[in-house]
Amino acid sequence: MTSQLIANGLISGSHYALLGLGFAVIYASCRILHFAHGSVVTAAAYIAYLFFIVLHVPLPLAIVVSILVAAGMGSAVELGIYRPLRRRGAGGLVMLIASMGVFIVIQNAISLAFGDGTKSLRGGQVAEGVLFLGARITPVQIVAMATGAVLFIAVSLILSKTKFGKAIRAVAADPELAVARGIDTDRVILVAFALGSALAAVAAVLMAADLDMTPAMGMSALLMAVVSAIIGGAGSIPGAALGGLLLGMAQSAGAWYIHTEWQNAMAFGILLVFLLVRPQGLFGKPVRAVEL
Amino acid sequence: MSYLLHILILANIYSVAAVSLNLIAGFGGMLSVAHAAFYGIGAYVIAILALNFGFPFSLTMICAVGLAAIVGMLVGVPGLRTHGDYFAIATFGLQVIIHSVMTNWVGLTGGLLGLPGIPRPTVLGVTIDSHVRFLFLTLIAAVAVFAFSYRLVRSPFGRMLRAVREDEILARALGKNVVKCKLVVFACGAGLAAIGGALYAYHITFIDPSSFTVQQSIFMLAIVIIGGTGNLWGSVLGAAVLIGIPEILRFLGIPSAIKANIQQILYGALLVAFMMFRPQGMIGEPVLMPLKKDGSATRVQESAQEL
Repeated sequence: MTSQLIANGLISGSHYALLGLGFAVIYASCRILHFAHGSVVTAAAYIAYLFFIVLHVPLPLAIVVSILVAAGMGSAVELGIYRPLRRRGAGGLVMLIASMGVFIVIQNAISLAFGDGTKSLRGGQVAEGVLFLGARITPVQIVAMATGAVLFIAVSLILSKTKFGKAIRAVAADPELAVARGIDTDRVILVAFALGSALAAVAAVLMAADLDMTPAMGMSALLMAVVSAIIGGAGSIPGAALGGLLLGMAQSAGAWYIHTEWQNAMAFGILLVFLLVRPQGLFGKPVRAVEL
Repeated sequence: MSYLLHILILANIYSVAAVSLNLIAGFGGMLSVAHAAFYGIGAYVIAILALNFGFPFSLTMICAVGLAAIVGMLVGVPGLRTHGDYFAIATFGLQVIIHSVMTNWVGLTGGLLGLPGIPRPTVLGVTIDSHVRFLFLTLIAAVAVFAFSYRLVRSPFGRMLRAVREDEILARALGKNVVKCKLVVFACGAGLAAIGGALYAYHITFIDPSSFTVQQSIFMLAIVIIGGTGNLWGSVLGAAVLIGIPEILRFLGIPSAIKANIQQILYGALLVAFMMFRPQGMIGEPVLMPLKKDGSATRVQESAQEL
């Protein structure tokens, strides 16, 4: 039973880690609470559904299309909305409200196109789990954990080794100084949106393959992304992935005591505790109250 | 005719919600995404008290406003520690938690099935059993909430509130009690929102958690923002316009199956458009006391941009 709980925690934890990672890459680059990230998740899941189930495209190709569309959507929101707003000197809350607007538009467009019912990537089959150290895990879940680990390492390497990684860390640490050093912040932010949205698409496909999809999935995906990023420490990108993993483990452990219906409430309970006690998260730099 | 009355009643109820949210988000500068939760607390309190204990109208209203005000103050607590984006996230969290209590505490709230059969209220000996009477009741409530809020924002307290919004540290340096200021505005905003929720429950006679979601909170925020933050008239106008839009859709002959989605898409698009082209909303905040002749005109626009 314990090993099953740990396995469940790792599985949902790897979903949350990918969601948090994508959200944190974007947040670090531009400090926008990208609410529409949730609707990019939904869109990516439905694009995969459209190509794989409806159009009978092979799965790997459908996933690639889904990732590309998501990256395109994220970039389009940045280019079409956030960048013009930034040019006008709009503050964070104006961006947040615009982002909520985008969220509502995309989610309802998806619900118009596909209906509100549950859609599945499995084509009606119920996957049988394999027994591993006393825990029953389906192949999709194993893929989710492996993908989560690989992408976490890949993103960490990108951040620490590549020029883009250095640039995004510079922009995250001090945007003005980054500009003064000749870093093209607009380009860094655009790449961050594409990368973050691509990560969201991977998370979306993995979640949809495991738990199916509804147009409302984006809202709860967004919640988990935000909570993971804040637990991990806003500004610390690898921290967000670890935050997601911790959130998954905490929820799974909590399932012992609390009914699963309370999972969203529990995630936010954890978030509120962090906001009140340790707003910089586990891995973030201490921040002054004024900056919060 | 009864349908038109229903729309007017809803417009009144939403103007109560929007005016009260404007106190917190517009005048207080704290972007709260938890307003539907306070509104919902009002609705659930009257439903539970009226159904289980047969409480009369006046008593249920007092309890609803009181409980929502207390919960509002609790929400104000993270507001003391967090600002801007983080505050919005904290209220988002509280909204989800309160919604989850409404959904999962089945014994008290009826869970997803909700609470049906809320009795018609009797106010001052008059049973409010027709749409016309209900319209009068909601109109009186809307005017009362507006008048209270108007007095509040014009009072010295209102000036202090705006001062805290513009520069919290400066306000504190001038000896203003920032903590008290934020908690009071939260208690007022939440308590007044409960009046809206209570009227909604009495009007529809049935409530379930789907009326008090995050989306509903964002809708209320949309009314305030599109109407104009920091301007109470803007919230009334915003409520009228945003409640009126679906009726225009109906007039255009859009099938009801897709109407809800089209309506939401329109709200979302309006939010984006207003943020891009008119962040101060339809009616912006009036300049109360011009500071300097040269710089005064831009000050309000600046603060709308900073929001």
